[in-house]
Amino acid sequence: MRSTRLAPAAAVIAALALSATACSTKSGTDASSAGSDGVKTGPGVTEKTITLGALTDLTGPYASLGKSIVNAQQLYVDQLNASGGICGRTVKITVKDHGYDVQKAVSAFTETEPNVAAVSQMVGSPVVSSLSQELESKHLLTFPMAWASTLLGGEYVQVVGSTYDIDMINGVDHVVRTAKLKAGDKIGHVYFEGEYGKNALAGATYAAKKAKLKVVGQKIKPTDQDLTAQVTALKQAGVKAILISAGPRQTAALVGTAAAAGFAVPVLTSSPGFAPQLLATPVGPALEKMLQVVSPAPAFTDNPAMQKLAKDYKAKYPKDLLDPGVVSGWNAISVLGEDLKAACKAKDLTREGIAAAHRKQSRLTVLGVPLDFSDRTKPATYRSFIHKPAKTAPGGLTNVEPAHEVPAARTYALPKG
Amino acid sequence: MIKLTETVLNGLALGSVYALIALGFVVIFKASGVMNFAHGSLLLFGGYVTARLHDAIGFVSAVLVGAALAAALAGLVQLLATRGLRGAEIHTLTILTIGVDVLLSTELNRQVGADYLTMGDPWGADVTRLGSITVADARLASIVVAVVVISAFFAAFRWSRWGLSMRSAAADPEAAALMGIRLDRVRLIAWCVAGALAALAAVFLAAFPAPGLDRTTSQIALSAFPAAILGGMDSAVGALVGSLVIGLTAAMAAGYQSELSVLGAGFSDVAPYLVMVLVLLVRPTGLFGSKELTRV
Amino acid sequence: MSDTRDTTGSLDATGSSDTTGTVDTLAAPAPATADSPSAQARWSGRLSPRGRRAATVAAGVLVLLALPFYVTSFWLQTGLFAMAAVIGAIGLNLLSGTTGQLSLGHAFFLAVGAYGYVWLAAEPSGTGAGSLYGLGLPPVLAFVLAIVLAGAAGGLFSPISGRLRGMYLGIATLALVFLGHHMMLNAPQVTGGFNGRSVPPLDILGFSFTDTSPDGLAVLGVPFGGLERLWYVGLALVTVAWLAARNILRGRPGRALGAVRDSEVAAAVMGVHLTRYRACAFIVSSMYAGAAGALLALVFKRVVPDHFGLLLSIDYLAMIVIGGLGSVGGAACGAVFVALIPHLLTKYADDLPLLTAPGTTGSGVSPGDAARYLYGTAIVLVLIFAPGGLAGLAHRRPRRKGDDSPRTRRFPLRTRTAPKEHTP
Repeated sequence: MRSTRLAPAAAVIAALALSATACSTKSGTDASSAGSDGVKTGPGVTEKTITLGALTDLTGPYASLGKSIVNAQQLYVDQLNASGGICGRTVKITVKDHGYDVQKAVSAFTETEPNVAAVSQMVGSPVVSSLSQELESKHLLTFPMAWASTLLGGEYVQVVGSTYDIDMINGVDHVVRTAKLKAGDKIGHVYFEGEYGKNALAGATYAAKKAKLKVVGQKIKPTDQDLTAQVTALKQAGVKAILISAGPRQTAALVGTAAAAGFAVPVLTSSPGFAPQLLATPVGPALEKMLQVVSPAPAFTDNPAMQKLAKDYKAKYPKDLLDPGVVSGWNAISVLGEDLKAACKAKDLTREGIAAAHRKQSRLTVLGVPLDFSDRTKPATYRSFIHKPAKTAPGGLTNVEPAHEVPAARTYALPKG
Repeated sequence: MIKLTETVLNGLALGSVYALIALGFVVIFKASGVMNFAHGSLLLFGGYVTARLHDAIGFVSAVLVGAALAAALAGLVQLLATRGLRGAEIHTLTILTIGVDVLLSTELNRQVGADYLTMGDPWGADVTRLGSITVADARLASIVVAVVVISAFFAAFRWSRWGLSMRSAAADPEAAALMGIRLDRVRLIAWCVAGALAALAAVFLAAFPAPGLDRTTSQIALSAFPAAILGGMDSAVGALVGSLVIGLTAAMAAGYQSELSVLGAGFSDVAPYLVMVLVLLVRPTGLFGSKELTRV
Repeated sequence: MSDTRDTTGSLDATGSSDTTGTVDTLAAPAPATADSPSAQARWSGRLSPRGRRAATVAAGVLVLLALPFYVTSFWLQTGLFAMAAVIGAIGLNLLSGTTGQLSLGHAFFLAVGAYGYVWLAAEPSGTGAGSLYGLGLPPVLAFVLAIVLAGAAGGLFSPISGRLRGMYLGIATLALVFLGHHMMLNAPQVTGGFNGRSVPPLDILGFSFTDTSPDGLAVLGVPFGGLERLWYVGLALVTVAWLAARNILRGRPGRALGAVRDSEVAAAVMGVHLTRYRACAFIVSSMYAGAAGALLALVFKRVVPDHFGLLLSIDYLAMIVIGGLGSVGGAACGAVFVALIPHLLTKYADDLPLLTAPGTTGSGVSPGDAARYLYGTAIVLVLIFAPGGLAGLAHRRPRRKGDDSPRTRRFPLRTRTAPKEHTP
């Protein structure tokens, strides 16, 4: 009985499936074509607009970073469009929030990918590594908001600025000089699990070896809130300085705990480990006293470009603070903007055309920092700035030592991704 | 020796904060059998209220208002659960707390934003030196307050009418209801108590040496899960002992990380869970949980 | 995007016309063959519930089979995520819904399946610190073995799962998630560490489930890339998982497991080997999770440890409760709900009114936040209006005679701690 009823049903299914597919409207991917103005265009580029993608975190643990980046990039795009756009087209950013969830990010990427020409930001190192193969195969120039040197080497994934390991080599050099460390001294390194911490540790270990120091490592997780145990251990080990490659909260906890324990050693962090909001908390004074920040970007008062960015940002977003995310976002979109201008000049706004134009940028200056993208296996710059927190300064940082490059940074063998 | 003493002190301070959270879990579980996934959000809410109010009304009143509002919010969740879902089963209520957590945490994250909210606590960044050992005052305060609050809780649990109703309701809800105990009210009070305890924990989690309350503070509530289980889910004493064990384990594993490197870097985060599993292997209902007896 | 909506619209039309078509086909020959009055009653006029059910199922199957011809890769990918969730949820439901063993460790077993597949199928690569182990087995074999591996992991946990009850078991399995995460990070040669490892594509006798090999494959004029091809793998897996679970539940093991949930003592008295059944339920559920994990890995193309965290476990628990404990269909409904809603909300959040777009000034709600509000509200509303789960909604309609057995599903999240004595 069951089979006799199912048989006609199956026949109907098969017939309908065949007839239904015959009228499918789903077509293949559109190939690149030349527009009426003679500019070759690809996905994400129409006669009127150029669409860029942004995969960011606006609801998860990196929401404040994501928000600053989005704001800064929108500010750039507004200014760009006000000055005529690219090739007569206005530039638009499609922002998708993934809340630091890999599955949502992959899904949002699949959704936006067919309609974007390049990706102006991608937050979250697990997200970047999940999608890196896709990005390379879709020829999508992407600026990850992560600075591990393992991300170098791809044709389409482009880290802007110096990488975590290079920053740490420059930073350790600064600490050795200023704190007068001697051969045989110990330095502590508190680092996040994951690419950020691992990459920074690699740099710090190399620099320490060069300076004949010993590194005492302490691995922590982003969910760790209390670093008392780590500080106690480092204090007992007798370290003369501490490096921390973690989030702002952990930096504050570390400095606060060390200060409370009367353990006043210099603490050095990379720019993701600092947020200006920290300076208004009880830990603020200790941070101003003990912390230094090594960063690929200048402070907001250092040069006219930075001052203009600070002024424009404050004008557009009066309620939001200037933080490292603003600079990172601006850096990435500036490079992409220059790439688009160059691609426009070459009359090729396809994804490949944009990437090719990008690879030719060997002398680009963004916010006063010279960048060289011609060698995809090398960081765009080997120089880092050293800043220190200052409550009154815009962005909460003032410069201590201008950009400099340490010889050790060039001899350091970059890890392969 | 100094390292050991300091590590133990850290562990105790951490454990005392865990105890406030774990007690909340236990009270809610005892009263309504629900595992409260929204506890982290309640904690953040209490802390948020305190942080917003301390400038205007002073620290102590702000803490009290924060605890009261967190208690009210927890009560509201319970009312939603019993009124909205009358007759629903326990698992449904447990999942309901997930939905509530999504809503609450989204709103609180929006409110807190990128800020680090300070609690305005009187201890600030002060420290106390005992010989060569240094402890932050906020840490000592957390131990003292936790001891006082938990003792008060035990007294209430042991001698007050609510405590009696609560214990009888947990032992046998049907019999308790037949004896005239209003289960709804007992549960409501249990949730409120848990909310207030969470708010108190938030104050100490955000105090020095932490920079302040931020959106990630709520995640610490998860660390109290093994504490509640280790001691025995239906035992308040168990929650206390479990919290101290978990706090000490976490502090020791982090403090002696370099000696434990064979077990993999970052071992301190899983050590509490490992201890918990080992304890459960020997005692399946935790250290103080009542044994499961079956009579036919 | 607009063409997608058009096609979805036309799809619905196809779906409904098919239903009526099937009804006609089924109803037409009925009066001629039916002699007995009962059969007459069944066939004349409206279709019997069974026939209607068959027609609905047929329509659903047709729509699922035809989808890759219409929808964009976003929908296919989201659909595949949902399929993996369905498989995983069916497995968890066997454990938690039917046997009453609460598990928050499902994410761990998914990870075992995902990483197991990668490790078994990948060729060893790299040297020194960056080297990766791999067995280089044929992908299909690796897929099967990954499921077995997940089952074995479940079996290894049975000494613990056999001893613990209720919430204690829940949190003990939660420990698995954290320990598993720790292992994933600290065994980089197998897992690739924090950044994960790329997944070797599935391939059967040279036919690869990727965009290439055969290159530019097109079926009926529609280009068939990796997602379109994987779609049918996913459908096949869901079908197998569904039928297997139904057979388990309807047969002797299902009754035994139900008996264990309702009363362990009674079950033991009736001759159910408690330890063995509890362990078996754990193993089978882990194997389902393994299959879900391996499928997920194929869709992701890269596995990263951060995906397999506590939130994933909680999601699975939410799936089976929202769907309705104890029924296979309920688990599937819940899985689709939990897996799809956040993606859909994120996709359409930009179009909601009164929102502040990212990068603009204003204190309004951002689309991402709005999506989360709606998700939270959806969970609360579903539970309020369907406390028995989505499956409970389906069962509210009047049932046929003889099928009015009460559907009570107990879930001993709470262990009764004091014995209830009934002394005469």
